[in-house]
Amino acid sequence: MKYWNMIGGALGACVLAVGLGTSPAVSADITITMAAPDWPPTRFMKEHFDKTYKSPAGHTTTLEMDFIPWPSFYERVAASLTSGEQKYQMIVTDSQWLGAFVEGGYYLDLTDKIKTDPELGAIMKDLHPALVSAYSTYPHKTRAQLEAAGEVPAPDTHYYGFPQFPDTYVTYYRSDAFCHEGEAAAFEAKYGGKLPCTYEDWQDVDWEKFAQIGEFFQRKAGEKLGDTVLDDDFYGIAYQAGKGYDFSTMQINAFIWQHGGNIWDETNAPEAQAEGVVNSDIAVKAMDQFLSLLQYMPPVAQTGQMDIFVIQDLYMQGKVGAIVDWVGLGEPVLDPKASKVHDKSAFGPAPGLRKADGSIDRTGNIGGQPFVLTTWNSDEVVDEALNVVKWWLSPETQLEAVKNGGQSGLVSVMSDPAYNDLRPWNRAHVEMIDWQKDVWHIPEFFEMLTQQQEEFDKAITGQISAKEALDSVAKFQQELLEDGDYIQ
Amino acid sequence: MSIVAAENTGFWAWLMAPKRRGALLVTPAIAILFVMNIFPLLWSFGLSFFNFRANRLNVPTFQGLENYQRVLVDEKVWERFQTTALIVGSSVMLQLIFGFLLALMFAKSFPLRRIVLMLVLTPMMLSFVSVGVFFKLFYEPTFGIVSHVLNEFSSEPFVMLGSPGGAIAGIVIADAWMWSPFVMLLVLAGLVSVPKYLYEAAEIDRASPWRRFWTITFPYIKSLLLLAILFRTIETFKLFDIVYIITEGGPGSSTETIAVYLYRIAFQFFRTSQSSALAYIVLFVVIVLTNLYLYAVNRRESEVG
Repeated sequence: MKYWNMIGGALGACVLAVGLGTSPAVSADITITMAAPDWPPTRFMKEHFDKTYKSPAGHTTTLEMDFIPWPSFYERVAASLTSGEQKYQMIVTDSQWLGAFVEGGYYLDLTDKIKTDPELGAIMKDLHPALVSAYSTYPHKTRAQLEAAGEVPAPDTHYYGFPQFPDTYVTYYRSDAFCHEGEAAAFEAKYGGKLPCTYEDWQDVDWEKFAQIGEFFQRKAGEKLGDTVLDDDFYGIAYQAGKGYDFSTMQINAFIWQHGGNIWDETNAPEAQAEGVVNSDIAVKAMDQFLSLLQYMPPVAQTGQMDIFVIQDLYMQGKVGAIVDWVGLGEPVLDPKASKVHDKSAFGPAPGLRKADGSIDRTGNIGGQPFVLTTWNSDEVVDEALNVVKWWLSPETQLEAVKNGGQSGLVSVMSDPAYNDLRPWNRAHVEMIDWQKDVWHIPEFFEMLTQQQEEFDKAITGQISAKEALDSVAKFQQELLEDGDYIQ
Repeated sequence: MSIVAAENTGFWAWLMAPKRRGALLVTPAIAILFVMNIFPLLWSFGLSFFNFRANRLNVPTFQGLENYQRVLVDEKVWERFQTTALIVGSSVMLQLIFGFLLALMFAKSFPLRRIVLMLVLTPMMLSFVSVGVFFKLFYEPTFGIVSHVLNEFSSEPFVMLGSPGGAIAGIVIADAWMWSPFVMLLVLAGLVSVPKYLYEAAEIDRASPWRRFWTITFPYIKSLLLLAILFRTIETFKLFDIVYIITEGGPGSSTETIAVYLYRIAFQFFRTSQSSALAYIVLFVVIVLTNLYLYAVNRRESEVG
């Protein structure tokens, strides 16, 4: 019996050895450390991963999220990458950073993986083209260029990222004020138009009407708003107009594109110029319109510190009637513990510019973030990280993310009839995503952004005019881009 | 052979010989100093002569003094130096005035003096970030306390950070609030060291309060005041945190100090070599300030001597 056991054991070992020899998938303990901004969409990803992720390769995979506060996110990631510590296997990144960190050799080119892996190819085909353009391609390809190529991956295109959280800006508004009969009647009497109440009403709001709303709802403490007497001053509208990071560029770009102007077009380098384009008459007119609405906003607008978080906070404190802000900041607005307006908030598309044919152009600057893989990962880690990407971008996970305040970039998920009802801003997000374009992706983006933000801030705080600001921006960009051989 | 015997005759004994023991004891400290301070200092000095950018793969090439030339002809650098000088001058002046007045107050005894003194010292024990956030919220025009108080006298909200002058004042006030207690401590140390019999003699001579201050008090606190001016000038010259949190250098670039600009070049624009060159120019300015102080102190000592 003893000998039979030995023979059986030896045979078993042989079978196991042969099995291992023929199958490359050996289960391993893999830890993926991901740099992530500290906010609900990434917190949810971590929680949901821990609950549901099972490695298709049979690995024991741990997702370690290094949650970094938003204000220092870029600096922390940049410091980690440039120090050479090779801490992260995956990184949630702003789309603008692609150039800087691809050129630095930190972000992994996934084009071949997308080409050879049918699952990844299917995901890329299902992603909204505006997101693929903004989040994935470097050198940057526009949505039109990708669509014209007609295949995924498009020829001569390099892909790096997948959407972690696709974001757009939408309008948050106070339904108690906007749907109040007395307010509606007073608005109509004053401006001869309808005060928007329903989603469909907001689809007809252009910047002119938004300005009227701003003027109409400016109230002093002691005056009435709907049926309530105000304890504090109340302001009609707000959108981002802050000096930090990109907190005015994102909104001003929308105005410029809607008016028919442009920023420096990196996809047409080296022919595309900055001077004459960035400071064109159209761009100046667009920025003037952006500035003209600031008078109806909370006084913090005069300090140049009215960023996306400040307007969210003012709205939650019940001090503003309507704001244009990112979908990603919507969840706290509905939280009774954090928001005074949790039960009287509704959402609509962001306003836009009315065209001659009566339609409204809502072109905007895309928000949100892709996630990328880093170049120092072993093949095993790369494959497992791509499994995590497939898990995250599977319809089931995406629907769970949306139910918990996230957004999906998959067209198949967004076109699900139930999608719009999952969260109150979903309909607006789906409508807005089609209008999205992105700012530059070249490594010099931060210099361009910082200088532009400074000049815009001077205009916002009344130190210079829109023309002076844009002339300065155009001159700086022309010199910088000529130095970098982006313009010839 | 016992271990002790082996130690006494081998390498250990050689190493622990009295003539080497001193050097051995300071070696760890010097090693840490070299790794943490001297090596990075020399490395960044070397970098300032290349065209290195930390976020690029290109092999750096030698550029000689080009980065220094570029920094010195950069209008923005000079603007930032001017802004820094304005903030340093105003803030150190306020700190001296308030620190001096507080020291005069605490030089006398009054009820609850110790507790009040402890409270007055609190600001300088707080972190820069906390102070920055406090003051940013204080100045917020919609719900900030400053605007609320002033709203009692005016119907319009008070927008302190909306103009370059207001923003600079906002930063100066925050910095002075935080560091006046430090000046007070130094001055107070001088005040309590003045022998009481000198004041008694002056009183007998019917010297006026101003004469008493100028001929008795001031000579005792003069060198400590100089020390306070130097410390605070050097520290305020490097002011970063409070500015970055309260205004981020705005409106526009009107409150952007040289330290904030240096940070932007180094860690946002990744012009690593250029930022190293600017850092050495800033270091040079600080060294000049230090030498001015030492010159003043030496002159004072020779006068006394």
